[in-house]
Amino acid sequence: MKKTKLGEFEELVLLTVVVLQEEAYGVEIKRELEERLNERLSVGSIQSALKRMEQKGFLTSEFGEATKKRGGKRKRIYSATPYAHRVLTEMKDVRAGLWASMPKLAYDLKII
Amino acid sequence: MSNTQNHINPPKWPLKSLRFFVKKEYLEEIEGDMEEVFQDNLEQYPIKKSKRKYAWEMVKLIRPGLIKNLHGNYHLNQYGMFKNYFKVGVRNIIKYKAFSFINMFGLAVAMSVCMLIILMLADQKSYDQFHEKKHNVYRIIMQPGNHKRPYATGPIPLREALKTNYPIISEATSLIKGFGGDAVYNGSYAEMRGFFTDPGFFRMFDFKLAQGDESTALNKPNSLIINRKIAFQLFGDEDPLGKTIDFSDRGIDVFTDEGRAPVDWGTYTVTGVLADDNYKTHLNFDVLVSSASLEHLYKEGKIYNASTNWGDYSRCYTYVLVRDNVNKEELNDVLEHLSVASYRDSEKLKHSIFMAQPLTKITPGPVLGNELNSTLPLFAYYILAGLAFVIMIFACLNYVNLSIARAVTRFKEIGIRKVNGAKRKDLIFQFLSESMITALLSLVLGIVLLFFLKSAFLNLWINQYLNFELSANINVYLIFLALAIVVGVIAGIFPAIQLSGYKPVKALKNLGSITIGRLGIRKTLTVSQFVVSLLFIVTSIVGFNQFKHFMEYEYSFNAQNVVNINLQSNDYRLVENALSKVSGISGVTGCAYYPATGRNDNTYIRKTASDDPVEAIDLRVDENFINVMELELIAGKNLPPEGPNASSYVLITERTAKALGYEHPGDIVGELLVERGEKEIRVIGVVEDFTFSLLFLKQIMRPVVLRNEPDKFNFASVKVTSDNQDQIITQLKENWKKVDPIHPFKYELYEHKLASYNQGIFDLVSVIGFFAFLAICIACLGLLGMAIYTTERRTKEIGIRKVLGADGVKLTYLLSREFLILLSISIAIAAPLSYFFNNFWLNFLVVRVEFGFGTVVLGSLLLLLLGLLTIGPQTLRVSGRNPVDSLRDE
Repeated sequence: MKKTKLGEFEELVLLTVVVLQEEAYGVEIKRELEERLNERLSVGSIQSALKRMEQKGFLTSEFGEATKKRGGKRKRIYSATPYAHRVLTEMKDVRAGLWASMPKLAYDLKII
Repeated sequence: MSNTQNHINPPKWPLKSLRFFVKKEYLEEIEGDMEEVFQDNLEQYPIKKSKRKYAWEMVKLIRPGLIKNLHGNYHLNQYGMFKNYFKVGVRNIIKYKAFSFINMFGLAVAMSVCMLIILMLADQKSYDQFHEKKHNVYRIIMQPGNHKRPYATGPIPLREALKTNYPIISEATSLIKGFGGDAVYNGSYAEMRGFFTDPGFFRMFDFKLAQGDESTALNKPNSLIINRKIAFQLFGDEDPLGKTIDFSDRGIDVFTDEGRAPVDWGTYTVTGVLADDNYKTHLNFDVLVSSASLEHLYKEGKIYNASTNWGDYSRCYTYVLVRDNVNKEELNDVLEHLSVASYRDSEKLKHSIFMAQPLTKITPGPVLGNELNSTLPLFAYYILAGLAFVIMIFACLNYVNLSIARAVTRFKEIGIRKVNGAKRKDLIFQFLSESMITALLSLVLGIVLLFFLKSAFLNLWINQYLNFELSANINVYLIFLALAIVVGVIAGIFPAIQLSGYKPVKALKNLGSITIGRLGIRKTLTVSQFVVSLLFIVTSIVGFNQFKHFMEYEYSFNAQNVVNINLQSNDYRLVENALSKVSGISGVTGCAYYPATGRNDNTYIRKTASDDPVEAIDLRVDENFINVMELELIAGKNLPPEGPNASSYVLITERTAKALGYEHPGDIVGELLVERGEKEIRVIGVVEDFTFSLLFLKQIMRPVVLRNEPDKFNFASVKVTSDNQDQIITQLKENWKKVDPIHPFKYELYEHKLASYNQGIFDLVSVIGFFAFLAICIACLGLLGMAIYTTERRTKEIGIRKVLGADGVKLTYLLSREFLILLSISIAIAAPLSYFFNNFWLNFLVVRVEFGFGTVVLGSLLLLLLGLLTIGPQTLRVSGRNPVDSLRDE
């Protein structure tokens, strides 16, 4: 767990890639995340997260089709590696575990 | 992608920069993404906004992960390498303490001088920075067609013309000279001087009022704004606002104390008090008077009405505020147009031209006539900076010299580094980092030295006129840091390139076989240092002699024991009457101003039969003048005492008689002359010539016309006996009070006044002498470093020579010979150079000291002595060493 070094934003981007499947390229990821997070994101932030995760081995990528809207430039379609799936599941489990073991008292204390 | 009709391309420059900095392998994808986002935006926003967004997105792309690496695409952890460079650098500094000290001290001294000059400039640059609109404010200066030098002043109607006719000028204000005299309120008195100005003044400049309203204070006639000092003098603790003062004008101003008899100008109301007396500004005044007050002064004829006179350009400073986005050139075009229109028909001022001077360029600025404050002109800074630069280069040369000389000890290190794969670039970097460490340490030492230097500089005589504060702020320190870094690079780059260039095999194999610039660079550097040093030494000796020569100069009148008393617009006859009652004085005389103090009024005289006028100095004195000043009457009689026709009789000097064409001074006595083409004057006598101008000017003796006209006197001079002077002056003061109970007694000894004019020259000599001292210090330090180095290297050789029977004296000679040759070459080059250079500048002076080869020889001997003192101990020590010790250590 310790070695994965997956940041919060990176985790979000990674999950989006998994969700979007074949459509997972820069702008689409940006759109999806903007909608879900309800905030504006820059191309730079998405791209640097993608590149970082690719270097860490969470993602692989290949060129996709080119569209007119993109000025004839090809898309790069990202897909999560099995390793990424494992880490995501691990993180989910850790969180679920933590939520489960949160004592009821904590809620009460918060009310006070 | 081809452009269809409704296809809009993203803006060009962000796209270009994007292509420039984004990593190649990511480019296609990111460019596509950016384009897609741009097209999306186009559906929501107008084109302009989308383009803006595109540019902004581009900026946000600048992230370490996405942009190209500066050094190609590989990542290496170079931290360890830098740490090693630093460590080696520090160890080298510590290991060779003597060399490091020589380098650092030299650099520190040079830096402290540079820093002082930076401080001076920073101080001057801080003038007039508090005005919010400073970048749009210009002073209009004038280059009169009949003068060489531009004037800071211009004609009075200029303001109105600029303000009404030219839309690029949004505001114009003028400061009109001519308000200076005594204000009286309820028995308290204050002397004040200032300008007439209009309400526009406060719309342009950000002077604040502690009391009163900036927008209305100058609206009404006879209202004025005073500074805190005057407010305190007049009103003490009372509230000055709205108080009425009586003012009588004496014609004094910021430039001069010499006024005229007081004229009652009526009452004025105080409508404001300045918030701060110490604004850093070139504008220098105690009081500002509303220019509406001028109207009735004109009417009553109390002040000369030049309000529509374009030909009078000596009494008004004009400032304009231009609209935003108007630059100096546009303003200058407008001014050129105006000057042509105004002076087209004037004969005298035909080619006069107005020019714009930005407010922030006034201090430090060019030399202008009627300039408001006394500052060092810009060219003085160039000279100082030039001298400091020479010193700085010297210190850097020392570094270069010593580094190259010591290179031999580092060949092994260089060789090993190279064998291990260090590129030449890396080695250069290493040596540069060493010089940088030295430079930064020198900076610290230099800042310490700067404190001493600063206090010495502030104590110079000239500083009482220049008002330097020399306070440093963070910006100045940043400049210092930049200076240190630049010095580090300059000093280090040459040795770095030299040292890193050796082949590793050679460098490792045999140290002895490598010789570095043995005859070339190093020696040239040393010689050039000493050449400049000698030039400095000789120049400062000559300068000092010249100063002494000025001090001992015979003015041909006797200024000894003459006390000059400023009349402060009192009637001369009353003052004379009072002063002459004091015992212990041998004469009292009056005059309009003093000879040899820089002031002169001119007149033109000619013979009745001739059309050729002679320019002469016009001096009003009374009949006692030639006795008090001990001038010899050559022919004719002395001036008549005061009387109805007294001013039509004149005394002239011998030179005047000659200039008018009389060989024998006696011949002109009784002749009638015509002054300024109209007035007839009769020569009553001839006196000997005396010095009239300041000594460093080209013409010191000029034709002089003396006449008795007590109304024009500004000073009374009293010749006192040499003993008991203090007591006599106390008595003079008491008698003065009987005549004028208001003004304090103002006096100075004529002798001191004359000497004070030479004080400026002494300051100059001190500065040059100081630079000479620094230059020779640094040069000697360099020589010392070389001497230490070469003698240490030859220790073994000396040991062997000694064992074989050489004696100490011979060995000392052997060791010193190389340096003696260097010194001799330096002297051979510098001696003639300094001889010609000093003769060159001396030629500009009329009163000049004798200068021959003697001074050059003296300077050369001094240099030789210093050089020998530097290398002597070193060579003696080595040659006197026991050979057993020097041969034992291996």
